[in-house]
Amino acid sequence: MADSPEEIQKSIRKYLWIGALLILFTIITVALSYVELPTHSLNILVGMIVATFKAALVALIFMHLNHERPLIYKVLAFTTVFALALFMLFIFTSGDPLVFEGF
Amino acid sequence: MDIPYTVSARPDTGLYNAKIGIWLFLASEVMLFGGLFSSYIFLRVGADYHWPVHELNVTLGFINTLVLIASSVTVVMAWASLKLRRIGQFKLYMLITVLCAGVFMVNKTFEYKAKFEHYAVKLTDGTYLTGHLPEGYEIKFGEVGDLTLTVQARTSAIDADPVDYVLPFLAGGEARFKTEDGSEIELNETTFADLREKALAKAATEGKNNAAIKLVPTSPLAFKAKPGKILGYNATTMTFRDGSIATGKLTDDSMVLEVDGVDTRSVPDAEKSLAWNAGYLGDAWKKAFVENRDHHLKAFEEKYGDRRDPKKSATLQKEAFFMHLHSATPEAGHGDDHGEKKAAAGAPAEHGDAHHAHHPVVKIDKKDIAFYSNFTPKLNTYYAIYFTLTGLHGLHVVAGALVLAYFLFMDGRRLRENPEHLANRVEVGGLFWHFVDLVWIFLFPLLYLL
Repeated sequence: MADSPEEIQKSIRKYLWIGALLILFTIITVALSYVELPTHSLNILVGMIVATFKAALVALIFMHLNHERPLIYKVLAFTTVFALALFMLFIFTSGDPLVFEGF
Repeated sequence: MDIPYTVSARPDTGLYNAKIGIWLFLASEVMLFGGLFSSYIFLRVGADYHWPVHELNVTLGFINTLVLIASSVTVVMAWASLKLRRIGQFKLYMLITVLCAGVFMVNKTFEYKAKFEHYAVKLTDGTYLTGHLPEGYEIKFGEVGDLTLTVQARTSAIDADPVDYVLPFLAGGEARFKTEDGSEIELNETTFADLREKALAKAATEGKNNAAIKLVPTSPLAFKAKPGKILGYNATTMTFRDGSIATGKLTDDSMVLEVDGVDTRSVPDAEKSLAWNAGYLGDAWKKAFVENRDHHLKAFEEKYGDRRDPKKSATLQKEAFFMHLHSATPEAGHGDDHGEKKAAAGAPAEHGDAHHAHHPVVKIDKKDIAFYSNFTPKLNTYYAIYFTLTGLHGLHVVAGALVLAYFLFMDGRRLRENPEHLANRVEVGGLFWHFVDLVWIFLFPLLYLL
C-alpha cells in the first residue's frame, strides 16, 4: 500500500467532505424527482446521471479507485463492458409487437 | 499454513491477495445486480400498467440513504483510524457502522410490513381500490347439511384428510357428526382412520377404488376460510383442498375494505367507475374525486397549455386519477387537494393503525372483484422486482454488517498482534460495504423516486 500515515491523515477530511457531498446530492435527487420535466424519461435520465455521479464519488474516493494498481482496473474494465451490455439489452425489445410509448 | 501476502503486497500484482480477491468478487457482484437492474428495465419498458412513482415511503427511503452514506463514511474512517493506530477511534467508527446497518434493516422491516398489510383490490372494470382488510378476507359458509369425504384406496393427489383440510376452517359448531350407520362420532384422526378403513373395506367388496363417507353434523355447523385455502365454492357447496365437499349455504363472500385510495387510471371513464356505486364510495366521494381531478387538469393546462399532452404526464395522471382518501367522509377531508402534498411527504395510510379509522369502509361484492393482493410480488412486476432487488440488497447489508461486526468484536487478538493485517481486512470488508452503498445509490431513485 502506498498509503502513508501523512496521506491518510490528509484524506480523513476528504472523506467527511465526500460524505457531505453525497448527502447533498441525495437531497438534489429527491427534489429533482418532484420537478416535472418535459417527459418523465428526462426525469429518469437526470436522476440516473446524478446517481452515477454519486456512485463515482463512492468508487473513486471511498473505494480508493483514484489510486489503485493496474490489475484492478483491468478486472473492472471487463465488468464495466459486460454491465453496460446488460443495461443495453432492452434495446432489442424495440422490435416487439407491444408498442412502448414512453414511461 | 499461513496464507501468503495478507499484509504486504505481492511483488507481481503490487497488491495484498485479499484485495484482488474482493475486487474479483465485487466484479461478479456487479454482474449479479446488473442482471437484476437489466430485468428492472425490461419489466418497466414492458409494463402494461401505470408504473408506480413515489409510491413507496420516500421519507423512509431517504433516511435509509442517509444512514448508508453515513456508514460508508464511518467505515472508511475506521480503516484510516486503524492505519494510524488510533484504536479507540477505530472501534467507535466501526461500532457506528454496524449500528447504521441495524437502523437500515429496522427501517426496511417497517417498510416491508406496511406492504404486507396493505391491499390492492382490482374491480372488474379496472378500478383499483387500495386499503386495509380489518377482518382479513374469508368466505363464510353456514347451515352445513352434510359433509362428504371421498377416500381413495390407491395413492392419490386428492384424498380425504379432514383433520388437516376441513376442521381447521370450522367457525362455529362442534366437529360431531352422525355417520351413515347411525352412530355419533367426534371427527378426529382416530375416528377418521376407523371410518376410512370400514369404507374402503366395503368398497373393495364392490370392486371400487374409492368410497364416499357421508357425515351429517349433529349441531349447526359453519365454516370460514380464505379463498386460497379451499378449492372452491358456490352458493350451496364448499369444496376443500382434500376433495371433501360440504353442502349448505354461502353466508357471505364480500370483502370489507378500509379504502385509502381509488386508482381509476385504467378505467376509460373515471366517472363511471364501479367505485362510485351507491353501495361503495357513493356520490359524495365521486364529487370530491371530480373536483380534485378537474383542479389538477386545469392547473396543468394553465401551466403548460398545448405544450404538453396531459395523457403523457405520469405525475398528472397520478394526481388527477389516483385519489388518496384521508378521512371517513369527503367533507371531513376537504377533498383531496391537500392529499397529494401529504402523499409527497410520505406514503399515506401506512403510518400505523391509528389512521385506519379515518377511512371509509366499504363492503365489496365478490362478483365485482377481479383480483386482489397485498403489495407483494403477486400484485405486479414492479413489486416483484422491488422485493427481489431490495431483498437481495438487504441480505448484503446483513452479511456486510456481520463481517464488520466480526472485525470489531471477535478479532481482538489480530488487533493486538498484527494491526496491519486487521487494517487490510477492514479495508476489504469496507470495500464490500461501499459496494452495498453504491447499489443503494441506484436503487433509491429507481424504486422510490422515478
